[in-house]
Amino acid sequence: MDVHPPYLYPDYKSTRLRAPSEPLVRVAPSPLEATGPVFPKHFVKDSEADLTTWGRSAPLGEKMVLVGRLLDEDGRPVRRSLIEVWQANASGKYPHPVDDHEAPLDPNFLGKGQVLTDDEGRYRIVTVKPGAYPWQNHAFGWRPAHIHFSLFGNAYAQRLITQMFFPGDPLLAIDPIFQSVPEAGRRLLIADLDLEQGVEGVALGYRWDMVVRGPRATPMGV
Amino acid sequence: MPKPTPSQTVGPFFARELLWKDGGGVLFPGRGDRITLTGRVFDGNGAPIYDALFETWQADAVGKFPSGDDGSRPYGYGRVSTDSDGRYAVETVMPGSFTGPGGERYAPQISVAIFARGLLKGLRTRVFLAPLELIKDDPLARAIGDPDRLRTLIAARDAGDPKIYRWDVRLRGAGEAVFIEF
Repeated sequence: MDVHPPYLYPDYKSTRLRAPSEPLVRVAPSPLEATGPVFPKHFVKDSEADLTTWGRSAPLGEKMVLVGRLLDEDGRPVRRSLIEVWQANASGKYPHPVDDHEAPLDPNFLGKGQVLTDDEGRYRIVTVKPGAYPWQNHAFGWRPAHIHFSLFGNAYAQRLITQMFFPGDPLLAIDPIFQSVPEAGRRLLIADLDLEQGVEGVALGYRWDMVVRGPRATPMGV
Repeated sequence: MPKPTPSQTVGPFFARELLWKDGGGVLFPGRGDRITLTGRVFDGNGAPIYDALFETWQADAVGKFPSGDDGSRPYGYGRVSTDSDGRYAVETVMPGSFTGPGGERYAPQISVAIFARGLLKGLRTRVFLAPLELIKDDPLARAIGDPDRLRTLIAARDAGDPKIYRWDVRLRGAGEAVFIEF
């Protein structure tokens, strides 16, 4: 069963003029697309996995540790694969020119990080919990707190951009971006609280595993 | 078997996070004819999409797949955003053709992914850098069949500058590009 959202989801208004109207053409990944960019080990600095050490002092907000694994659909770890993250600060503000939300920037938080998975497909990032923020899609619309993820897998056919959400957030029920995902897939976008992954007295722990398609999986029905 | 993680939009706030200073200059270890693939991305009203992330992945000049890096960035991979006119430009080498496991012949092409606000899933396709009559045996060209649809994936060589290949991408409506799924 497909866990992915459709392209056209009218409640998310921006899809109306951007979703293709023709059916997609289903093909096997080319042998080129069964390979992908190889990021050098030193492309990522260890410090880039900790978003809380960017400034001169600690950023505002609830400090958190997020751990998890990157797997493929066969359950195999995806090793040495680049994971990029970006997020709003604890007030729900991005340091981005098109963000017009009247919330304060945090001089000690850039909200950008990256990490390579290890030989078991594991990753760990340290950050602060992003704030929710209002958006113009519909009256009284607010995006639930989320962290953006950009994944490469080990093959360009596995490339995936997605968002991670937090357990128990009442805004999930009114978010058309989250609700665009078929019901059976929504749980897969929500992290679990995992206190022991946190730092005692300092940071809350969360766990979120991600799964990308197999690099050479053949199309359904072919 | 674990279920795949659902896709979500890249949103409007990616630019500083996902852009690299030289992401539009694609690196290769070997030589090749340097070309520029450029064009504009349009929505269903024909309006330029000014906030898209445009990515490329391709073979080198002799059809070999890149593996490795120059010490700073991976070979073969391009990443840019569109500007206020919806325009992107990637400077790279002319890719060679390559052969699939069943002997199928892939025409010179670049694999493209487009991410943007309003795209709940990234759009995937392949742009051909050869004219219609030279790509007919390509697996994707055969899967599409209709030459009018196939033409939406052919980059046109600039009449004045043969190093420039122009490819506009309409996401929806008249002249809509063919997009693929795996």
